[in-house]
Amino acid sequence: GVFAHLEMLEMRAHKAAVKREEMERQEEKLARLKARVEELRLQRDELRAKVDLQEKGQLGKEGVVSDPAQPSAQAVLEWKIKSLKAMLQIFYLTGISSKLTKRGVCFSISTAYEGTYLDSYHLDLLTQPEVRILRHSVPIFIPLEQIAKKYLQTDIRRFMSVLSDHLNAYVGRRYQADQLQEHFSAQIEGALQRNSLCNLLVFNYNVSSQSKTFLFNARLLYGDPCSILPTEVVISCTPDAPAALAETAGVHSDLFRRVALHKAFRSVCSAEESVA
Amino acid sequence: MDVAVGEYIRRTVLKIPRDEIRTVLQKWGFLSEAQLQSVNFHQVKENTAREVVQLCEENSADIKQAAVLDIIYNHIYAEKRMWSVYQMNRTGEATEIFYLTDFKKKIKRRLRSALKNVTVTFREYEHNAIWIRIAWGTPYTKPNQYKTSYVVYHSQTPYVFISASVYKSNLPLLCQALVVASNYHDIREMELRSHSLNSLKDIVFKRYSQNFQTYCPRPLQDRNVEPESADLRIIQENRSEKERIQRVNREVFGDGPQPKIEFAQYKLETMFRSDPKMDVLDKKEPFRCLIKFSSPHLLEALKSLAPAGMADAPLSPLLTCIPQKARNYFRIREKKGLLPGSFVSP
Repeated sequence: GVFAHLEMLEMRAHKAAVKREEMERQEEKLARLKARVEELRLQRDELRAKVDLQEKGQLGKEGVVSDPAQPSAQAVLEWKIKSLKAMLQIFYLTGISSKLTKRGVCFSISTAYEGTYLDSYHLDLLTQPEVRILRHSVPIFIPLEQIAKKYLQTDIRRFMSVLSDHLNAYVGRRYQADQLQEHFSAQIEGALQRNSLCNLLVFNYNVSSQSKTFLFNARLLYGDPCSILPTEVVISCTPDAPAALAETAGVHSDLFRRVALHKAFRSVCSAEESVA
Repeated sequence: MDVAVGEYIRRTVLKIPRDEIRTVLQKWGFLSEAQLQSVNFHQVKENTAREVVQLCEENSADIKQAAVLDIIYNHIYAEKRMWSVYQMNRTGEATEIFYLTDFKKKIKRRLRSALKNVTVTFREYEHNAIWIRIAWGTPYTKPNQYKTSYVVYHSQTPYVFISASVYKSNLPLLCQALVVASNYHDIREMELRSHSLNSLKDIVFKRYSQNFQTYCPRPLQDRNVEPESADLRIIQENRSEKERIQRVNREVFGDGPQPKIEFAQYKLETMFRSDPKMDVLDKKEPFRCLIKFSSPHLLEALKSLAPAGMADAPLSPLLTCIPQKARNYFRIREKKGLLPGSFVSP
């Protein structure tokens, strides 16, 4: 009827209106994009001009122009990192390094023996009101308090140097004893007797002479806490050993006093092999 | 073989878990390999123990060997005992060389001169640890092998670890013997006790990991950062706070495992602070209170409190100073002076 017809007309009008809106929107969008394109074209032309100017060697007033002779920020950073790493390496090699802390300084001592890096020890020092050790990781049998009493207040460098000597000597002696136990366990009879500071070593080892083996007892005393060589060496053999072996004992004793233990032992063993 | 010795060996073997008996006996070395082969270790422990005693009878074991077996048992199962730490002091230069045989002789002589009846046994272990077992008697009775004290001493250190027996009265004598034998002047008990002997050693020998600020190129350990979840929709709201807690925790506790102690005890002798209007206590005297923290592994538990969100980081220094101050018994008194607060007394 009439209403149905009216409805149909309404719908048609609505659809047309929607279509018109749609088209208007599209046109707006198109206009906007065209404007944008113009903007970008302008920018591009500006930049092109700048590049041309640069290439011709003239510096414009505006814009960031970096001097080609100056290194880039990236290169500077890389150089800084490299020199820092080199600095850290130097610290590690010299063995003593330090770092400022909130309340003072933290020292680190890296020990080594003949090219092998061994343990690192640290000390946290307070500097106000006077120099004091806050905490540390130095082994308890190193006479830290004595060394501190002597040098800490008056001469920090000396303190660190003396402490470093003690620590390096201790790890050196320990390394020699460990090497002996590890590589020459076959020649050593029984256990290697040692103490915490590794400054007294007692062990028995086999010496062969004329196809018979005799037991030698070695006693090495390291009287100087900062030395990796013994101050006193006593080598004794069993009473039933031939007199010629007494001379060998003397040779060994002299060798142990002059040469590091594991190296001395190596030459003792190789001498054995050449004799046998 | 003395019947008492046999009985003592039997009881010692019974203490060992069945699967470990063979290993312990091998360490002892008193029975030959052939003899050990002949024992059936898979039967009921009582029977195994009886067989072992039979073999010891054949080898004529005496109290000395039995004592060695006991030391070996206590070395392996040291955590069954409570250990205290004693510190020795000396004045003057300490450059003497430590002679083990002298040390042993002096200890034996000291103890025997005071108490005729005492069994003293020594055994050396790695890292220069000297174990001493003492079975106490009286001038009139034989040493009681079941009432023993154990001492662990590392040469050239001022610390002694003692697990005392019931006879506490013998402690002064033992301490005196140790001081004389190791060339020190005096000895005092530290406020540090635990079942874990190794952890006590870690604390006083400073073998636990302390966090020092250094330039030493330390290998970066894998931090316990949760892997970035693949789902980008999940956002960590308080990531910076979590990282701060991790950082502070690490500064305080270090990176490595903590020494194992089972408790920390704080004895308060401070005044009770309340609202002046409430006036809870009419007498102004210290409020006595004892606070005890216990845990199978106290320091690890404390380390995990802040990351778990159960406490603020950093934790109270009273809790975190335990390894550095080498003590787990504290007495907290009033700070004398105008400033309020309390301080920890030595």
